Amino acid sequence: MAWAGREEEETREQEEGMMKRGRGGGARRGRPGRVGACYADERSWESLQEDESGLLRPIDTKTFQHAQYRRRLLLRTAAAAGDSGSAAPRIQRGLIRYLYVVIDFSRAASETDYRPSRMAVVAKCVEGFVREFFDQNPLSHIGLVAIKDGIAHRLTELGGSPESQIRALMGKLECSGDPSLQNALDLVHGFLTQVPSYGHREILILYSALTTCDPGNIMETIENCKKAKIRCSVVGLSAEIYICKHLCAETGGSYTVALDEAHFKELLQEHAPPSPAIAEYAVANLIKMGFPQRGAETIIAICSCHKEPKVGGGYTCPQCFARVCELPTECNICGLTLVSSPHLARSYHHLFPVLPFNEASVAPLNSYQKSPRTCFSCQQDLLNYGSKSSLHVSCPKCNQYFCLDCDIYIHESLHNCPGCESRRESILS
Amino acid sequence: MRFQIDDVTVYFPYEHIYPEQYEYMVEMKRALDARGHCLLEMPTGTGKTVALALSHRQLRPRQPQQPLKLLYCTRTVHEMEKTLAELRFLYDHLPSGTRLLALGVVSASSRDSVDSSCRRLTASWVRARAAEAPPGTVPSSVLLPPGVYTLQDLRAFGKERGWCPYFLARHMVNYANVVVYSYQYLLDPKVAEIISREMQRECIVVFDEAHNIDNVCIEALSVSVRRVTLDGATRNLTRMTQEIDRFKATDAGRLRAEYNRLVEGLAQRGNLPITDAWLANPALPDDILKEAVPGNIRKAEHFLSVLRRLVQYLKGRLDTENVETESPIGFVASLNSQAGIDQKMLKFCYDRLHSLMMTLEITDTDEYLPVQTVCDFATLVGTYSKGFSIIIEPFDERMPNIPDPVLQLSCHDASLAIKPVFDRFQSVIITSGTLSPIDLYPRLLNFHPVISRSFQMSLTRDCICPMVLTRGSDQLPVSTKYDMRSDPGVVRNYGRLLLEMVGAVPDGIVCFFVSYSYMDSIINSWNEMGILQDIMQHKLIFIETQDVVETTLALDNYRRACDCGRGAVFFSVARGKVAEGIDFDRHYGRLVIMFGIPFQYTLSRILRARLEYLRETFQIKEGDFLTFDAVRQAAQCVGRVIRSKADYGMMIFADKRYSRQDKRSKLPGWILSHLRDAHLNLSTDMALHIAREFLRRMAQPYDKAGVGHQKTLLSQEDLKKMSEDSGSMV
Repeated sequence: MAWAGREEEETREQEEGMMKRGRGGGARRGRPGRVGACYADERSWESLQEDESGLLRPIDTKTFQHAQYRRRLLLRTAAAAGDSGSAAPRIQRGLIRYLYVVIDFSRAASETDYRPSRMAVVAKCVEGFVREFFDQNPLSHIGLVAIKDGIAHRLTELGGSPESQIRALMGKLECSGDPSLQNALDLVHGFLTQVPSYGHREILILYSALTTCDPGNIMETIENCKKAKIRCSVVGLSAEIYICKHLCAETGGSYTVALDEAHFKELLQEHAPPSPAIAEYAVANLIKMGFPQRGAETIIAICSCHKEPKVGGGYTCPQCFARVCELPTECNICGLTLVSSPHLARSYHHLFPVLPFNEASVAPLNSYQKSPRTCFSCQQDLLNYGSKSSLHVSCPKCNQYFCLDCDIYIHESLHNCPGCESRRESILS
Repeated sequence: MRFQIDDVTVYFPYEHIYPEQYEYMVEMKRALDARGHCLLEMPTGTGKTVALALSHRQLRPRQPQQPLKLLYCTRTVHEMEKTLAELRFLYDHLPSGTRLLALGVVSASSRDSVDSSCRRLTASWVRARAAEAPPGTVPSSVLLPPGVYTLQDLRAFGKERGWCPYFLARHMVNYANVVVYSYQYLLDPKVAEIISREMQRECIVVFDEAHNIDNVCIEALSVSVRRVTLDGATRNLTRMTQEIDRFKATDAGRLRAEYNRLVEGLAQRGNLPITDAWLANPALPDDILKEAVPGNIRKAEHFLSVLRRLVQYLKGRLDTENVETESPIGFVASLNSQAGIDQKMLKFCYDRLHSLMMTLEITDTDEYLPVQTVCDFATLVGTYSKGFSIIIEPFDERMPNIPDPVLQLSCHDASLAIKPVFDRFQSVIITSGTLSPIDLYPRLLNFHPVISRSFQMSLTRDCICPMVLTRGSDQLPVSTKYDMRSDPGVVRNYGRLLLEMVGAVPDGIVCFFVSYSYMDSIINSWNEMGILQDIMQHKLIFIETQDVVETTLALDNYRRACDCGRGAVFFSVARGKVAEGIDFDRHYGRLVIMFGIPFQYTLSRILRARLEYLRETFQIKEGDFLTFDAVRQAAQCVGRVIRSKADYGMMIFADKRYSRQDKRSKLPGWILSHLRDAHLNLSTDMALHIAREFLRRMAQPYDKAGVGHQKTLLSQEDLKKMSEDSGSMV
């Protein structure tokens, strides 16, 4: 099957891991706040506050962050429920995506309101995004396009390997000239019309500039994209631009503007989980796929992707027996889509996501037999949790209480509610 | 939803109501109950129109059988159409059984030609000549079905039935509940009588966007005479003489009949068919109308010779080399001694001319505009001895080499033109987004409002960001003060400001300058400094000129540049056409920069005379009035960017003088309440930082309903609770 349900949560742990790997694999800079990387914008004194006894302590941003997280979670669930028309959180999503990331490397990208420059920040975030994207969409393809000097050119073709994409991106870090949205859309439109019809065509534009210098009427281009069912989304770096808003509204994409670097990363990551399937595509149809076997460790074979002999590893296409290095990919010889079964299997638990937890009222002390004092999963004291915030959540199914950290962990990594799971056991026994 | 205001139930077509809308209606109700005039300041985009229309319909339950009219005066055709669109929505959503007939009436600009072309078709004598009733007339029994009719609708309806839309409108005005038309229909005595004569006293009159109402009043009573006018008038007089000769030969009885009628007095003009009644002058004292026309102008030939002498005299006055200022009394005296025309004759010129034109069966009235202008002038000079002055300038102050003599009769007292309106109608509501300081208007217009109030704008987010920029990035002050404005440092700082903003603000930016000449010079300098070229890298530049067609084209292209993402800057002039009537909402105006304070040209003789008059008559200090006038213009300019609550925009007042309390305090409340102390004394780099932050913040999604106690949308329950609260407090 070409699609599968997939809960769309980013995994913080994974992301952390990505960053570490990324640094080894050619990332230019570390995270901000490390080794003197950030200086001017880090106003450390502002993150302190005075408590009632006159002591300085860091501002408690946890509650705020959690509120933001919950809002996102509820928003997504609500949107999904609206789409499917029922309360069941089972969502159809287009899992096979063909995404072009368009990066604006025009003059505006050299501005330094993001440190060290918009361009560097964008490149770094795109790197993280590409990894996250492949992690969440094992069956999808990504390509990179850069806008520079009034024209758009393709950095990489659509492909399934994060490393080659990132390598191509990092090699080309310079910016100049005017941006042209229309040229970029035209170029990508040309590429995306060639992809198979079951795939979801998407463009994600990371736009630094506030203007676009176009050779012709951009409205026609937008109309063409709309006809070709290309979903265009834009993440802006400085301010809301009417034409981008119009483009996204017309093609069904989302338009967001970043407040700062962290927010930009967050907005970018929001594009990693697959979007709900467009109704026309949601019809189940069969797609031919190959599940290649991993070659034995000692066999030497010429791989079809790099055209060089390799020892061990690699996969053999079940149709033409060509050798490929990585999965998922398309066989270079016979064009068969090659995936591994874990790629599909990993989606299974996303079909039945954990319901969003209800926010419990601020610890009613007198009726504590109803609300236990500890978190069901980590056994931390709920009432005295962290600093002073006594917010906690409860599962609507099993009515167990959880602390905020566990809430995030359950929804973003575990995908199972410990309360419901243990109850099921007791019922079974 | 529906709710109670005092004891009246109001049906509101939307689910929610803005708090200020509710308050607005409460105040309206009070004003109507008190049967007085009121002055309400409320920013645009807060639903004034709906509040007004509803108040009119529903807050007067006592005489339901009497069809009360709402006369809604707007300044431009565009605004008129917006209002009508809103009314149409209202009509569709009100509970059934409510009859509403709203009319938009032909714009004043095309009025003269429309009027005369219609007259050509429909004047009774033309009709009489036609064998049967021509298609251009409206049977008096005709009624439009209830509904909302815009100009286009009327035109279409008229075409369908074969009626003249203009006369259809004039006819239907008597039956409509709401009439939307332009200021001139009420204020300009020349027009007012055609349309507004038959309105009852209980009508509610609304002047929308009325911050310039004093200027409109003054313009309505000011006449300027140029050489072209006088030449035209001479031609008209020659033609009329010929006509008279022709009539004498063919139909002498007609002239005799007119003579007899004039003997009886102007008031008994009833023997003319009612449809052809020419306008009388509501600004004239009643006794003129009752008086008989003086004997020496009763005969057509005599009247024409008087006019000829008058034109001759005016021509002589225009030949002067020096600037002359005279009071009407002095003018009339010298006219009497030199041309032998006394005050009484002057007074009757206007009516006498129209009576004559009627008698001569002249249909193409716009051909006769010059002579009508002269008669206008004569009547005003003859009628008013106070509040006017006559100024003769041989050339334009700014171009002293080109002789362009002009004789201006300028009115200084805005209360003269609006007095009949206040007297005639029970409730006059003056409303606008900028009426601050609100206590000055009653003084200027000489009336006593029962309610004058300024409303705040309740916003879900801080979507307007006014800033006062006093220094350039080099910390040197910027200002358009006369001694500073040509300083290259100031010019460069202004240029840098715009350049920085162009790089940080998306889509459209509007810049207002204090005058055309200043704009020309500063653009020239920017061009030499290379600033314009740098701006062009980010955005295209469009400039307002004095040519209307050119400006319209520039505006059109400006909008297109904003639409397609190229971005554009529009250079415009405060007090210009663009500043008055064009909206730069949404992406068409994300930022407006007001370069300098738009003071009036203080050396202008007309302004000087007016200031003197204001000081002597109303005890308004010159400085106060000038500042008030300049700041209201500035507020008007910057107010162009916000037209609704969902919109957002920044406003930069770039002049060090804005940071002074006396200037700043005259800004309207809804701007002042968002002007934070931290934004009062900015330099370019600080402003840039604030702008960036603001734009990022505004691009985030937001909750439209507002949260917590600061509610911006009230539901039925909220209102109920509010009224209960206030009830329990009492």
